[in-house]
Amino acid sequence: MAKRILVVDDDELVRNYVTRALLSRGYDVTAAADGFSAVAIIEKEEFDLVICDLKMPDMRGEEVIRNLKTSRPLTSVIVITGSVSDISNPIHPIITVEGFLIKPFGINEIREMVEKILKVK
Amino acid sequence: MNHKANILIVDDEAQIPEMFSLALSELGYKVSIAFNGEDGLQKVSGEKFDLVILDIMMPGMDGIATLGEIKKLDPEVEVIMTTGHGSMGTAIQSMRKGAFDYLHKPFKIKELLAVVEKALEKRKFNDITKAIFSTIKSEELLRIIIDSAVRILKADEALLVLMDTAGKPYVAVSEGLSGEPQKISRLEACSRILPRLSDDKGTSVVLIEDPHNDALFKDIEHIDEVKFAIMLPLIENNKLLGIININRMQLDEYFNENDMQRAKIFASLVNLSLRNANLYKQLQETQSQLIQAEKMSALGQLAGGLAHEINNPLSGILGLAQLVLEKADTGTQSFQDLKDIEKAVFRCKKIIASLLSFARQEKIRMEPVNINDVIEETLVLYAKQLELKHIAIVTNFGPELPPVNADFQQLMQVFLNLFTNAHDAMPNGGTITIKTQLAAPDPDKKEQLIVSLADTGSGIPQEILGRVFDPFFTTKPAGKGTGLGLSVCLGIMNRHNGAILARSEPGKGSVFTLYLPV
Repeated sequence: MAKRILVVDDDELVRNYVTRALLSRGYDVTAAADGFSAVAIIEKEEFDLVICDLKMPDMRGEEVIRNLKTSRPLTSVIVITGSVSDISNPIHPIITVEGFLIKPFGINEIREMVEKILKVK
Repeated sequence: MNHKANILIVDDEAQIPEMFSLALSELGYKVSIAFNGEDGLQKVSGEKFDLVILDIMMPGMDGIATLGEIKKLDPEVEVIMTTGHGSMGTAIQSMRKGAFDYLHKPFKIKELLAVVEKALEKRKFNDITKAIFSTIKSEELLRIIIDSAVRILKADEALLVLMDTAGKPYVAVSEGLSGEPQKISRLEACSRILPRLSDDKGTSVVLIEDPHNDALFKDIEHIDEVKFAIMLPLIENNKLLGIININRMQLDEYFNENDMQRAKIFASLVNLSLRNANLYKQLQETQSQLIQAEKMSALGQLAGGLAHEINNPLSGILGLAQLVLEKADTGTQSFQDLKDIEKAVFRCKKIIASLLSFARQEKIRMEPVNINDVIEETLVLYAKQLELKHIAIVTNFGPELPPVNADFQQLMQVFLNLFTNAHDAMPNGGTITIKTQLAAPDPDKKEQLIVSLADTGSGIPQEILGRVFDPFFTTKPAGKGTGLGLSVCLGIMNRHNGAILARSEPGKGSVFTLYLPV
């Protein structure tokens, strides 16, 4: 069965191309445009990987990831962010994420990272 | 007519001021008269006087009160008090209120003239002091110093000799020299006395009478024209900077005790003013550094916020272009266009990354770093590119340099940026000379490493030298430079508590000097 991926980003362009880049590789991809809907989806469904932006209105990505890692600790996370300085700010002292990508990134960069993380699992 | 000085006499007894006035006018002074305190004040408020001769006992406003008011109107005017009632009390009172001296009536005209001359000399000294201390620009200051030396010591010639960077003396300013041979002759005399002044640590003023008969100077051409010479040492931080040479050319015009006293006072005044000018220069430098830092931090904050906003749409452009690219046929125009879009995004990414690299607020990773290693490592990366452009690298590394606390990667970035600029400045090849050294130990200063990087390129025009560290300032053709390379260097050096300076001689090349605290 295809691996399940959730893409969370308030930027439509980013959400769009990341989703399509992964769909064309045969993944089962769901997209969410904000933190609240992401959390709602995660409560109902299980994913192998969540790709999540940090700076979003209403609920920041850190909140989504904290939520996810508490309820479903086995789900992997890739953070995608437009700010380099976010790298040095851990999401949470005891929560680790599996990957970090700085925007702008290309389709092959995200594909390679996804493949590597899901292979380990 | 040019008067020696402007004097006001205030006295209620009619004959006395007239008598003084006559004697003073004969000597070339311009004299005005007032018959009471109020009249005197009115005259002082309407005209500039160098000296006021003021009677103490007058009807109406007395001399003491008048003195106070005069000093309020013109604090610089000198006042001599005269009184028929020789009580010490009023005399002391007047001195406390700022009078220069006092005379008991009756006194001889000769006594008056002596005091007047002294008061006017003090006035002249005050004027010169004011001129010297209100001048901050060094070239102007040197000129004023020499003009003042001629005035104060009634000299025929005066010259100011300084040492160039190689320690060779040269004439910075002069007055009264009749020609080039005289200039050479006096400079030679100064050069010969220099070692003696250095040994003394420049504490003394040297008087030379008849240098032509002095073994040290006798073989110097044209030196026989000088009959009497004074050499004043210029000192800064206990180091001899140069000499002021003051000459008289007439046999009977020797320098007397008074002249020597004046010369000594003048020398200490000059030394103070030089120190003052130097401090002012330092203050200005610090100020401009502060302004630069301010600019950087404002831009940094802006950049941080901006980068995030731009990176999102940029990521969209890149990703979507690549999605279409995957389906486009190579060789079509669309494929090429999409490739160009992709390239443009990478260029934007690079600009934002360098913008952020000095805007970044996060801590740098400090570790003991050998500066020579950083340069070697950077050269490994860049040497090939330089070689292709026929650019030779000359390294002159100081041995056993102490490590500096620094971020290795960031320092590499600094050198990489400087190499890139040097490379671009020498399209037809040239030489990059890199020198590292420990700053000469100076008790006042902290130890620091100095790295200089000199190229033999086109150089930087003087008028833009002050702007090269400004963000987005570039002279490279559009699309080639981001205008951020040197800003990034400056940002990194600031974070290391260091500094970076640019010097350039158009046509000969540029030198960038880095300072890092040890």
